[in-house]
Amino acid sequence: MKTLEKIEVDALVVGSGIAGLQSALDLADQGYTVAIVEKNPSIGGKMISLSKVFPTLDCASCITTPRMASVSHHPRIQALTYSTVDGIKREGKTFTASVTRKPRYIDEKECISCKRCEEVCPVYLPDEYEQGMGAKKTISIPFTNAIPQYPVMHPEHCIRCGACARACPKDCLEFLQEPAPVEIKAKAVILATGYETTPMTAKKQYGMGALPNVISPMAAERLLAPHGPYGRVLRPSDGMVPGSIAYVQCAGSRDKSIGIPYCSRVCCMYAIKQAILLSGSLPIADITIYYMDIRAFGKGYEQFYNNARAMGINFVKAKVARITEDDKHNPIVRIEKQEGTSAPEEVKHELVVLSQGLVPACDGTKFNLGVGNNDFGFVQLSDETSSSAVTAGTGVFAAGTVKGPRDIPDSVVDAGAAAMEAAAYIRRL
Amino acid sequence: MADAKKLAEQLKKLNELRGPVPQALRDRVAAQNKAQKAILDALKAGPKTAPELAAAAGLPQDKTLWHVAALRKYGKLADVPGKGDYPKYELKGGDAK
Ligand SMILES: Cc1cc2nc3c(=O)[nH]c(=O)nc-3n(C[C@H](O)[C@H](O)[C@H](O)COP(=O)(O)OP(=O)(O)OC[C@H]3O[C@@H](n4cnc5c(N)ncnc54)[C@H](O)[C@@H]3O)c2cc1C
Ligand code: SF4
Ligand code: SF4
Repeated sequence: MKTLEKIEVDALVVGSGIAGLQSALDLADQGYTVAIVEKNPSIGGKMISLSKVFPTLDCASCITTPRMASVSHHPRIQALTYSTVDGIKREGKTFTASVTRKPRYIDEKECISCKRCEEVCPVYLPDEYEQGMGAKKTISIPFTNAIPQYPVMHPEHCIRCGACARACPKDCLEFLQEPAPVEIKAKAVILATGYETTPMTAKKQYGMGALPNVISPMAAERLLAPHGPYGRVLRPSDGMVPGSIAYVQCAGSRDKSIGIPYCSRVCCMYAIKQAILLSGSLPIADITIYYMDIRAFGKGYEQFYNNARAMGINFVKAKVARITEDDKHNPIVRIEKQEGTSAPEEVKHELVVLSQGLVPACDGTKFNLGVGNNDFGFVQLSDETSSSAVTAGTGVFAAGTVKGPRDIPDSVVDAGAAAMEAAAYIRRL
Repeated sequence: MADAKKLAEQLKKLNELRGPVPQALRDRVAAQNKAQKAILDALKAGPKTAPELAAAAGLPQDKTLWHVAALRKYGKLADVPGKGDYPKYELKGGDAK
């Protein structure tokens, strides 16, 4: 094990999605020092992999990248990526976090991000950034606008051919690198660990992730992204341009049978957004949204929904009972309409997107800081009417979807609130 | 550029620490190389769609598309502009003859 690296800051932010980035920037701009710890190799969270954002249809990475850059260049922010928070201890008025920097197997101080190692590496792997639809190499830079631009090597997929080391102009490869421990002392902690989507396997009636053309909404975001896995919208089973696409709403929300009774708040809107974008890139495709009711509650959201209707997107009020496929992997959707005729029907589509719900990414109680969870595992606020960031743990605040499903504008607003509460708390110490 | 001797020592040490490279990984890489070669060979005869490449290379269609995406990303093949239900791919740069 390497020697212990010690960092002392005013605030520790756990998670670097849009909420964590915004909290860190707000604190640092007020003069506080911040350490932000991210488990993934790049900062940016879920937002950096989205195509465009509702309701403005602005490019998601054009909004996220400048914030990521500001965080990584800020003189008062230290960003620790590819690092895990193993524990946080409260000692009087300070928190001590034990963090581990996972090995990337390269010398970060020397690396010039030239990508030569990646170019020559002979082992291809499914790229989780592209939801498995595209490829990366055993050593690769996570994605084009990742920050930092360091490659990560995965030793379990390495054939030890040494090609990367021979190609590297800076002699960076360190095959024997080990995890490095870091100790972070801070006066306040902001939890911004975000969400995951309900798994493809959550509902057995929807194919358990085994139907190749029934995909997650994150996969759909990547298909729509300008530099997505195929460079255009194709379906994964055979590379066909889909002519008929369906969205299944509440596929993983408002469903007691899978333990997620709540509404995930963003699924209606992202489905409408993706439908609008699809009808832009595939003008002749039929796009159907099977929904229970449409929840378009934010500023400009109702208008966005009406625009989608006016563009010819087909909204069908129906429950989807089951999804199967035919011998060409065309998904067959069995629906029960909630309006007009209610006899069950089977409809063939060429691609189906499950509008999955949002579940917590990390259990906020695991750090034993007095933070409680609500019934659904999201961080509980101590009094929602007086603050959108204060938790039951003194000095511990929450920002973004760690508190429950919300969209980007709401995550940004309450990340600001968390920064403000944390700053006020630090000043009172 | 890495010092050849230092690199050899590191890789040797790695074999001691972790044992040899697992056969399953070697087999996977061999299959990957065979599939990629079959796809690139099939393209020498001219542009093809993913299902056509799958048929020519004797691979499942979804796996073929994944290899196509991989080879496309790393600059070995490119999209042929045009419309149609199935886009076509062609060899890129110096490989296209
Ligand atoms: C398909 C889809 C499309 C969407 N489209 C839109 C849209 O168009 N417009 C919109 O407003 N909203 C949209 N949303 C919602 C939007 O993604 C969220 O509101 C927003 O990204 C939440 O940001 P966050 O920072 O709270 O969480 P996240 O982005 O999840 O960030 C959390 C970060 O914390 C890290 N982390 C987690 N656990 C740990 C740990 N233990 N230690 C260290 N790091 C950790 C994660 O790796 C991640 O980087 C969409 C959601 C989905 C699913
Ligand atoms: S040594 Fe490993 S990481 Fe490097 S090029 Fe070979 S397989 Fe890839
Ligand atoms: S070849 Fe070396 S310098 Fe270039 S990205 Fe890879 S590790 Fe960094």
